[in-house]
Amino acid sequence: MLKFISRIINQFKEYFLLTILIIISLTVLSSNEKPQIKKLRTFALGSFAVVNQVVNSAASIFEADESAEQLRRENAELMMQVNRLRKSGYVNQELRSMLSYKDTSSYPLVYADVVSKLVNKIQGNFIINRGSKDGIKIGMPAVNDKGIIGVIADVTEDFSVVRTLYNSSLNIAVTVQSINIDGILSWNGNELIIKNIPTTYNVRVGDRVETSDFSSILPPHIPVGVVSKRETISLGLLHTISIKPFADISAVDNLFIIKSLPSKQVNQLEMNLMR
Amino acid sequence: MLLNYLRPVLYFIPLAVVQLVIVPLISIAEIAPNVILIMIVFYTLKYGQIYGMITGFVLGFALDLISGGLAGAFMFSFTVSVFIAGYFYNENKIEINTASSFYLVILFIAAAINAFLYSAVANTNSDVGILYLAVEDGILPGLYTTALGLPVVIFNTRKGIE
Repeated sequence: MLKFISRIINQFKEYFLLTILIIISLTVLSSNEKPQIKKLRTFALGSFAVVNQVVNSAASIFEADESAEQLRRENAELMMQVNRLRKSGYVNQELRSMLSYKDTSSYPLVYADVVSKLVNKIQGNFIINRGSKDGIKIGMPAVNDKGIIGVIADVTEDFSVVRTLYNSSLNIAVTVQSINIDGILSWNGNELIIKNIPTTYNVRVGDRVETSDFSSILPPHIPVGVVSKRETISLGLLHTISIKPFADISAVDNLFIIKSLPSKQVNQLEMNLMR
Repeated sequence: MLLNYLRPVLYFIPLAVVQLVIVPLISIAEIAPNVILIMIVFYTLKYGQIYGMITGFVLGFALDLISGGLAGAFMFSFTVSVFIAGYFYNENKIEINTASSFYLVILFIAAAINAFLYSAVANTNSDVGILYLAVEDGILPGLYTTALGLPVVIFNTRKGIE
């Protein structure tokens, strides 16, 4: 009997090994949120990002000087202010909306360079050279002078992982600025979409989209993009709208982290959207 | 034998840097080649299916950890794609398999399966269709990876002539 079993194992050893390795892989996949895996990832990420940073800085040796960082910072701050003013143009008649308005421009910005990128149609991730030492925390938004790029998903002492908008695991609450309708923005592998907007709302191509007041992860009124397409589904009752982001996410080399502190209680609930 | 396993691990470090720093610069519309898979497929055709699976599994896990992506995704996709590439291993045809256009065919199959599987396990959005994943996130990255595998064939062919 033992001989028979060992002969079978020997004959199909590749398949047995494949099965074992697949089971281990799937177990690791399902334990992504476990502290042991997180610890291991933090260690590996922090160690290897140093190498990436050296190569990256060597590759970008011909890039702009220090004043560029200052200019980019001013640009990002102005972008926030412009968007705030544009927003107030839409809602100026209602004192109530003025009271609920939060000042996004008051958040401090932390400049960061992109050290490496994971390019994929489904899982867009950046590693940046700012970490917990710089006050970066999970859930803080990453922006550039055009608009939002993503959200901090993982932090080590010196480096952080930014989950970009081009990541199917990231869903954020947004508002179509002109008509004040809220929705959840997600990446379907091809484009950014907001689903299930009732057709009674007149969403037009070109309407601006920004982060919503309802989001506890992100501060409100950060520019996201413009409506590029509107598709009617479900017997003409609902729209799916496509969004073209303001920021050229694929080409981002440096960005800012908005040091906003999300509400802890609501955050626990909303962070589930990132998983 | 141990050296055979050590070699891809040593090559992995510079290739991982290339994958995470240089490859994003040459990606087209989020379609990027996988330079680490080029190496793993090459060694699989040289040393066999079991060797390839273990190498793919270990290096996949390492890439998962250092890329900030989903842990286990590359581990899974590398293991399965290299298992399929390992079917083409023949100890009497190592030269033909690694220094001819046949290598590119195997590489394309492995790369397309790898990219498809990676996206399939990493995807959490139910709106993404299987057909879309197979074409846009399977075949296209597969073709791109195959194009980057061309220098491997040229280099090995020249080495064979010399």
